[in-house]
Amino acid sequence: MQTGTKISGIAHVTLVAWAFLGGAFRSEPLPFEIQEVSVISAEEFAALSAPREAPEIIQNPAEPAQPEAPVEQAAPVEPAQQPEPVETRPEPVSVPAPEPEPAPEAVAPTPEPAQPAEAPSLEQPEPETVLLPEPPGKRPKPRPVERVAPEPVAPPPPDARPDPVETPPVSAEQGAEAPQPEQQATAPEEATDRITPEAEPTVEVAPSRSPRPKTRPQPTQTAAAKPDTKPAATPEAKPAAKPTEKPTEKPAATPNAAVNAALAEALAEASEPAAAPAPSGPPLTSGEKDALRVAVSECWNVGSLSTEALNTTVVVSVRMNADGTPDTGTIRMIESSGGSSGAAKQAYEAARRAIIRCGAKGYKLPSEKYDHWRDIEMTFNPERMRIK
Amino acid sequence: MMRFLTSLLVGATLLAAPAQAQNQPLRITIDEGIIEPLPLAVPNFVPDGVAATEYATQIAQVVAADLTGSGLFREIPSSAYISQVTSFDAPVQFADWKAINAQALVTGSVSLSGDRLTVRFRLWDVFAGTELGSGLQFAGTTDGWRRMAHKVADAVYSRITGEGGYFDSRVVFVSESGPKDQRRKRLAIMDYDGANVQYLTDSTSIVLAPRFSPTGDRVLYTSYQGGFPRIHILDVGRVEQRVLQSQEGTMSFAPRFSPDGQTVLFSLAQGGNTDLYTMNIASGQSARLTSAPSIETAPSYSPDGSRIVFESDRSGTPQLYIMAASGGEAQRISFGQGRYGTPVWSPRGDLIAFTKQNKGRFHIGVMRTDGSEERLLTASFLDEGPTWSPNGRVIMFTRETQGADGRASLYSVDISGRNLRPVRTPDGGSDPTWSPLLQ
Repeated sequence: MQTGTKISGIAHVTLVAWAFLGGAFRSEPLPFEIQEVSVISAEEFAALSAPREAPEIIQNPAEPAQPEAPVEQAAPVEPAQQPEPVETRPEPVSVPAPEPEPAPEAVAPTPEPAQPAEAPSLEQPEPETVLLPEPPGKRPKPRPVERVAPEPVAPPPPDARPDPVETPPVSAEQGAEAPQPEQQATAPEEATDRITPEAEPTVEVAPSRSPRPKTRPQPTQTAAAKPDTKPAATPEAKPAAKPTEKPTEKPAATPNAAVNAALAEALAEASEPAAAPAPSGPPLTSGEKDALRVAVSECWNVGSLSTEALNTTVVVSVRMNADGTPDTGTIRMIESSGGSSGAAKQAYEAARRAIIRCGAKGYKLPSEKYDHWRDIEMTFNPERMRIK
Repeated sequence: MMRFLTSLLVGATLLAAPAQAQNQPLRITIDEGIIEPLPLAVPNFVPDGVAATEYATQIAQVVAADLTGSGLFREIPSSAYISQVTSFDAPVQFADWKAINAQALVTGSVSLSGDRLTVRFRLWDVFAGTELGSGLQFAGTTDGWRRMAHKVADAVYSRITGEGGYFDSRVVFVSESGPKDQRRKRLAIMDYDGANVQYLTDSTSIVLAPRFSPTGDRVLYTSYQGGFPRIHILDVGRVEQRVLQSQEGTMSFAPRFSPDGQTVLFSLAQGGNTDLYTMNIASGQSARLTSAPSIETAPSYSPDGSRIVFESDRSGTPQLYIMAASGGEAQRISFGQGRYGTPVWSPRGDLIAFTKQNKGRFHIGVMRTDGSEERLLTASFLDEGPTWSPNGRVIMFTRETQGADGRASLYSVDISGRNLRPVRTPDGGSDPTWSPLLQ
């Protein structure tokens, strides 16, 4: 071990000594140039630099002429700024006059005098305005008129004829034996009294819907009323009995005839609106209304309206078809405010275009609530669309 | 018994009330829409004979260009048409035009007899399936075919928008040619769209600020002919001019006709002070309206002739003022930052257009006659000199580009600030003045 250590130590010492003595750790200077600088005077510098410029001038004797050219081109930039004041102060007579003179002679003379002579062309076109008499495809849409008018005229006569024939069976009290002919006899009689036969079912509905009377007068009326009505209705034939019994009861209450008449009128009034499409069920939700509002507003283009029409609010009514499309023949302006009649007309036409365009495929409305949106009144208020 | 019947009667009445209430129509309010050009189709007019074919095509093109140029309409290209109009009197196939979303349709015919041109047209509301207004017919010489096209466009514009058109009108402006340091200026007249340019003066002297008369037959302008500015009046039809106002030692400029065309309102500089004057054209009698040490210039009448809006630096910077047409105390209406100038009263009387300079930028703007609701419509290195279209819907003005090669040209913009577009002229153009609608 010691021998090896000694050998190793000697070898290391030898190596280190060799490295120091042999110059292994001596760093060689990096190659760089050193120039000695000495202060010289300006004259000396001029003397040194003079011989360098000399050859350049000798090489290109003609070039000095070219640098002069760009100098000349640059120069006009300055005069270009000067003419501006010349234009602005044309008071001096002598200064501006000579400058424009040459130019007009070259360009102006020939075209100008000739063209002014043509200026009277302002009077050339004399379009005579004539209203054309008849539009080519003038086809108005009187839809309801033509269809409704012929129909109601024809039906009345056939209804009236069977009446005299069936009068004898009505007089016979043995209705239970022959119930069928009696039904036919009663129908035409009532039809002749009232024009709208649809009112009958609603008359029956109206009183049946009023539950209130049952609560308070029940104890007194049930005792007396039940035996009167139920036995009368239950016996024998139902269809023939009801019409015959009612007239017999009413004359019995002769002291209250006036009140009954008033009651009948009130019930008839109540039934009239019901004859029209009375909405039933829940109304449209706010979301459903908003959907309709958004759908129409997407087609309500006010970009081509006059400023006056943009100050005009119009209310437009429309009857909708069950499939959600608007009946274009029913679109009407029912109110306008804020502008002249002309402006209202333009605003209405824009509104009508909106209703028709976006409703061409049908508005998305709940079909089960058709009674609620059959008739719609849309108020088109362009206040937020005005030019600001 | 009576009580019972009475209660029944009341009950029936109560039943009737809600039934009526339920029958009310659904009511909704629409207060938001869209603002976009109305799509319309202008198929080539039907020629009545081969000779009229070219006119039929050109007239339809001008009509379409007028309407689309207003920014309120968008033309549907003919390549999208499903059906063609082959007969003026044939029923319109609305379904075909609905399918391409044409909301308005213009059909027309052109017939030529010798030098006589007859143009007929109809306007259709496609979705309503009805005709808007009645058909119209214009007749004139072939030289005036563009005017007839403009008249058709005016009628269409008016029927759809509800306000008068402006296509059958002309513009007088200062035509500028040559480099900036040697610019030649001369008066020129053209159709409102830049067609049919004709020169009214030569360029031997500088001309500025032409102003149409209310009837469109005369033009006032300022000329440096003779070395200093003087007001001239030019008869447009005969191309005859004369000096209107000349007084030794004075400079007159910025003229403007009164609404009745009998009086000229202008600025007169005398002894270093500029004030407003009026002068009767027939008698030559003048009257002084202002007598302030400040500069009063660029006056403009209100449409009814009762008031005047003008520019004055009496407050230190150029601002806009309004006073009675007969003079008197003026009321300042511009209070924004910057300098205001060249005010022009709208033909409708509701707005005043002006030039505004602020923070190194120029703007064309409009404000109410009381100075409220100021709106800047443009912004550039240099915008100035607004003039109103006959219907008060569009403003034309001068825009000049920056630099030594700066070029002046005409632009128009809708009072909404939309539809900014250049007006093509052969050379540069400045100082436009819009005529009234031609008769």
